[in-house]
Amino acid sequence: MTYNSILYIFLFLPVVLLSYQLVPKHHRPKVLLLASYVFFYSISGKLLVYLLFSTLAIHYIGLWLSYSRKEYSDRKEHPVNEQTADDKKALKAAYTRKNRGILWFGIGIQLSMLLILKYSDFFGGNINQLLKLVSSPVLLPAFKFALPIGISFYTLQAISYLVDIYYQKIEADDNLGKLALYMAFFPLLMEGPICRYSQTAGTLYEGKPLEYKNVTFGMQRVLWGLFKKLIIADRLNMLVVTVFDKPDHYSGITIIVAAILYTFQLYADFSGCIDITIGTGEMFGVTIPENFKQPFFSKSASEFWRRWHITLGAWLKDYIFYPISLTKFVKNLGKSSRAKYGKHMGQIIPSSIALFGVWICNGLWHGTGWNYIFFGIYYFVLILLGNIFEPLIQTVAESLKINRNSGIYSALQTVKTLLIIFTGELFFRADDLGTGMRMFGSIFTGFHFNTLTNGSLLKLGLSLGDFIVVLFSLIIVLTVGILHEREISIREKIAGWNIALRWGFLYTVIVLVIIFGAYGGGYIPAKLIYAGF
Amino acid sequence: MEKLLEILKDINPNIDYETETRLIDGGLLDSFSILSLIPELEDAFEIEITPVELIPVNFNSAKAIWSMISRLQEE
Repeated sequence: MTYNSILYIFLFLPVVLLSYQLVPKHHRPKVLLLASYVFFYSISGKLLVYLLFSTLAIHYIGLWLSYSRKEYSDRKEHPVNEQTADDKKALKAAYTRKNRGILWFGIGIQLSMLLILKYSDFFGGNINQLLKLVSSPVLLPAFKFALPIGISFYTLQAISYLVDIYYQKIEADDNLGKLALYMAFFPLLMEGPICRYSQTAGTLYEGKPLEYKNVTFGMQRVLWGLFKKLIIADRLNMLVVTVFDKPDHYSGITIIVAAILYTFQLYADFSGCIDITIGTGEMFGVTIPENFKQPFFSKSASEFWRRWHITLGAWLKDYIFYPISLTKFVKNLGKSSRAKYGKHMGQIIPSSIALFGVWICNGLWHGTGWNYIFFGIYYFVLILLGNIFEPLIQTVAESLKINRNSGIYSALQTVKTLLIIFTGELFFRADDLGTGMRMFGSIFTGFHFNTLTNGSLLKLGLSLGDFIVVLFSLIIVLTVGILHEREISIREKIAGWNIALRWGFLYTVIVLVIIFGAYGGGYIPAKLIYAGF
Repeated sequence: MEKLLEILKDINPNIDYETETRLIDGGLLDSFSILSLIPELEDAFEIEITPVELIPVNFNSAKAIWSMISRLQEE
């Protein structure tokens, strides 16, 4: 069962909504939790045990952290003997060491499960390659585990829960049911977004009654998600699969078209799924954080990552970038670099270490392949170079009297960023790094303008009609993006229309999805892409 | 407070720290500036700044930074 399946839309979701509304308020979170475990079981079966173990682990370790902090507060507030400043410092240091140990134990449990289940095959395979190179007679046994759905998402949620308790941002919750629902809420299981306990747990557990506005707005958001997923993403999948499955058969403009259309497919697929997730949450009165903010309007690679998969970027910033930046080693490096190389490099050198950590994690989070590591390093290098050369670019622009706020300059920056994104996604989608390199090289070696006119682009799985449908749909997505960029709420506008116009419009969208959705005979069933990560 | 203003001036001398209240929200200080400010603050005021303190509200003005320093000194 996936979010775009008939079973989910027409049976699972309505049954859960109805059951939720019919039971007394205090039982509603139980309905959501039961539905979440049923949903999880329908995809991953007995692997549900991993999610249960993760939940229990953070529950007890969270309470342990909280208990340890309380113990410290008691000893600090009510000392047995009078304490000097040094005694107080020593007590604080001992407490910090203990709590840091508990935190690392908790993170260790979560990370080991993720590393073993998701990465043992990749790391084991690479170590074996190295062992073969040195003609080692011993090789590591090969393990490949079945991955529970959403492990990459809920593991990050689990870690953020523990770290937030450690830093006293939140209190450990003694309500196991509330924590279990935070970890398992079914709309979040397949593709996130990655929520924080302080963001969603409270409203999830509130058991608010269904409200007309929430349900209708939620349904509209789900419909919008289905529009993107079924009409755009699943249609583009035909061309993308054709080219990327036989990369050596194609070159030049065909590869460029495939990379661009894959980027749009990925956006429509992932953001469409997030629309369904947020819309479903909205129906239950739960606010789920946004994960996209018109990413293709970005003027730099770093801005793109503040607009694309926002919750992953924010997680990496809070739990990787800042903690690395605030280690003694990095802080000392910053001070010495500043003294040696001046203010600018004094900022760049230490932050590059933290940035490297962020981008390696970003690459590896997406998957187990060298192309994903390359994808992370690619953005690390581009963002680092952008930071290094920023003062030089500013000086050149000032001396040439170029207005960096002008429309033309902004448009050129957007085009540059799009080229960066399309290139990155080419490597991201390729089967492996070598294939990605070959495909990228063949853009230049096999570039012929007549590819555009000889009809070969129409032999890649998409007819002219399909291209027209995609083009019109993308124009609609672009228009909606422009309105959102201007902070215009389309659903509020629709709500202000008279009933005939409103329902006429909604039925039109439903009919469009039914008619133009790329499903059934002639189309390859397309999985939700990010659910595979 | 004077010591703090001195450190801030060293990070970026072109900002009027006594009146500015949108250092982060207004984009005057970016995360790189904040990260180079932290070791200076820690050394000057004998405090430890943890990642949880890295939120805009703590760095939007010199006054906000000062109140964070005072709070951390008391802890």
